[in-house]
Amino acid sequence: MSVFDGLKFRKVKSPIHDLDPRVKFIYVCVIFAIALIFWELIPLLILFLIQLPFVLLGKVQRQWLRSLRGAAFLAIIIFVTNFVFSFIGAGYRFTAESLESAFALTFRFVVLVESFSIFFLTTSPDNLSLALEQTRVPYEFCFAFTTAVRFVPVLANEAQTIMDAQKARGLELERGNFLKRIKNYIPILIPLIVSAIRRSLELAEAMESRAWGATKNRTNLYVLRMNKNDFILLAITTGILITAVYIRLFIPIPSVCELLEI
Amino acid sequence: MAIIETENLTYTYPGATNPSIRNVSIKIEKGEFVLITGPSGCGKTTLCRCFNGLIPHFYQGKLEGEVFVAGLKVDEHSIHELAKHVGLVFQNPENQLFALSVEKDVAFGLENLGVPRDEIRRRVDWAMKLTGIYHLKDRAPNELSGGQQQRVAIASVLAMKPEIIVLDEPTSFLDPLGAENIFKVIYELNRKFGITIILVEHRLDLTAKYADHIIIMDNGEILLDGETRSVLNSEKARLVGVGIPKATRLYQILKKDRVNLRSTIPLSSDEMAAMLEEVLKSK
Ligand SMILES: Nc1ncnc2c1ncn2[C@@H]1O[C@H](COP(=O)(O)OP(=O)(O)OP(=O)(O)O)[C@@H](O)[C@H]1O
Ligand SMILES: [Mg+2]
Repeated sequence: MSVFDGLKFRKVKSPIHDLDPRVKFIYVCVIFAIALIFWELIPLLILFLIQLPFVLLGKVQRQWLRSLRGAAFLAIIIFVTNFVFSFIGAGYRFTAESLESAFALTFRFVVLVESFSIFFLTTSPDNLSLALEQTRVPYEFCFAFTTAVRFVPVLANEAQTIMDAQKARGLELERGNFLKRIKNYIPILIPLIVSAIRRSLELAEAMESRAWGATKNRTNLYVLRMNKNDFILLAITTGILITAVYIRLFIPIPSVCELLEI
Repeated sequence: MAIIETENLTYTYPGATNPSIRNVSIKIEKGEFVLITGPSGCGKTTLCRCFNGLIPHFYQGKLEGEVFVAGLKVDEHSIHELAKHVGLVFQNPENQLFALSVEKDVAFGLENLGVPRDEIRRRVDWAMKLTGIYHLKDRAPNELSGGQQQRVAIASVLAMKPEIIVLDEPTSFLDPLGAENIFKVIYELNRKFGITIILVEHRLDLTAKYADHIIIMDNGEILLDGETRSVLNSEKARLVGVGIPKATRLYQILKKDRVNLRSTIPLSSDEMAAMLEEVLKSK
């Protein structure tokens, strides 16, 4: 759960939260792309560091750290497999280079998680859906998205209630071998599904009663408009992209090992 | 023509063998506050669904007889067309809110109708202020109490400025105080704006005092239909077990014992108290 906790949006007032989600999305994509064209440790480290101001400006450092912690396990796996492979590739020899490249690839993953989590921590689902709508994604899809976000906590709550009720009737979830344990969950799943179906019918009724699908030209209480900060971020993103491509093409990147002359 | 008129309305759900409502012929006048009550399963919800076109458009099934709402024949007009005239508030507040903030929820119907943005803004603010939820406008629905959620649901139909609001047991998930507050909001809408209110409710103790007109159903049929005080004072109402207000019951018992009470039948404990005071003073 901790990875998802680290991605959960909380309402905070900050310049990063106010940014247009479309611009933020472009930014994330650019960071993704750059992280993929580098495999050296130094540029990936820099990429990691230049995002820290966003985290601080968005006042989401705590949740952000939690999302990184959630990703730590995967990061370790990536590190170990890369290290082991380069260890074998180098003829069963331990080298500083292989250590560095394993670090670099791990950092690439960390950068991806970092930018992803900044995006989701600072973008309200409402704004995200608005952004989708304004990029001509069909409204049904956007509606499904916000409704899903709306009902996830409700269903989680309900699952907990059902679980407690069934436990009170003597259901033991933690008993038996693997297969038996999966079977133990059936008395929880069935009421959950039945109630979800009933809920969806009631929702459909309520939607219909509020003129769902009355017109193709649906309006919206809000519109996204780009303002000064959005253009600044767009400029920064373009700057980062051009610099990164230039460096990749024309500048040889030293490794840490060379710098330290190991 | 009355704002709602049904004639020999009989409806059978798809797959059901017996009709859920039978031969319902009622008339509801513009601006009335109508109470519909009756034992569980007698077809109150089914009747409400006929008022905004959920029956027959959403539920299909077999509809016989006629329903006119705001001059429109229900089976010839789509649900979203009827939604401009009739708002429906459901029992479970949780399952009628879909947006991530209160104001987006209140705006939902207007957005669907394609109303221009500044008009939406105006109407949403108006509806939220009237229902006393303006201070909650940025909150998510699942951060609200049941009573607050139900007010959001009322605001969201109110914003569409319907002539009729139908509320199907809107307070059965709420505590008595929360319920009382909801009823006050509804009553205000009725008195101030002349919106026709149809309220389905079991707790007549709390609601009878607001109603001009009461309809008691039993087993899919209309049992009693008329002015609130006389209907509730009738022998039939007591026998069907709809839980007539305690004040009304007490009045009947005292009357039988030849206590010299006024002839207006009391519907709430306040009215009863005033009446008793009068009698005691005169002695
Ligand atoms: N969706 C449905 N499909 C089939 N039958 C239904 C459906 N909804 C209700 N019924 C049946 O129609 C009859 C009337 O139900 P309805 O829900 O209208 O009663 P009600 O007066 O609203 O009861 P309550 O006070 O419990 O809400 C019942 O016999 C019920 O089983
Ligand atoms: Mg009902």
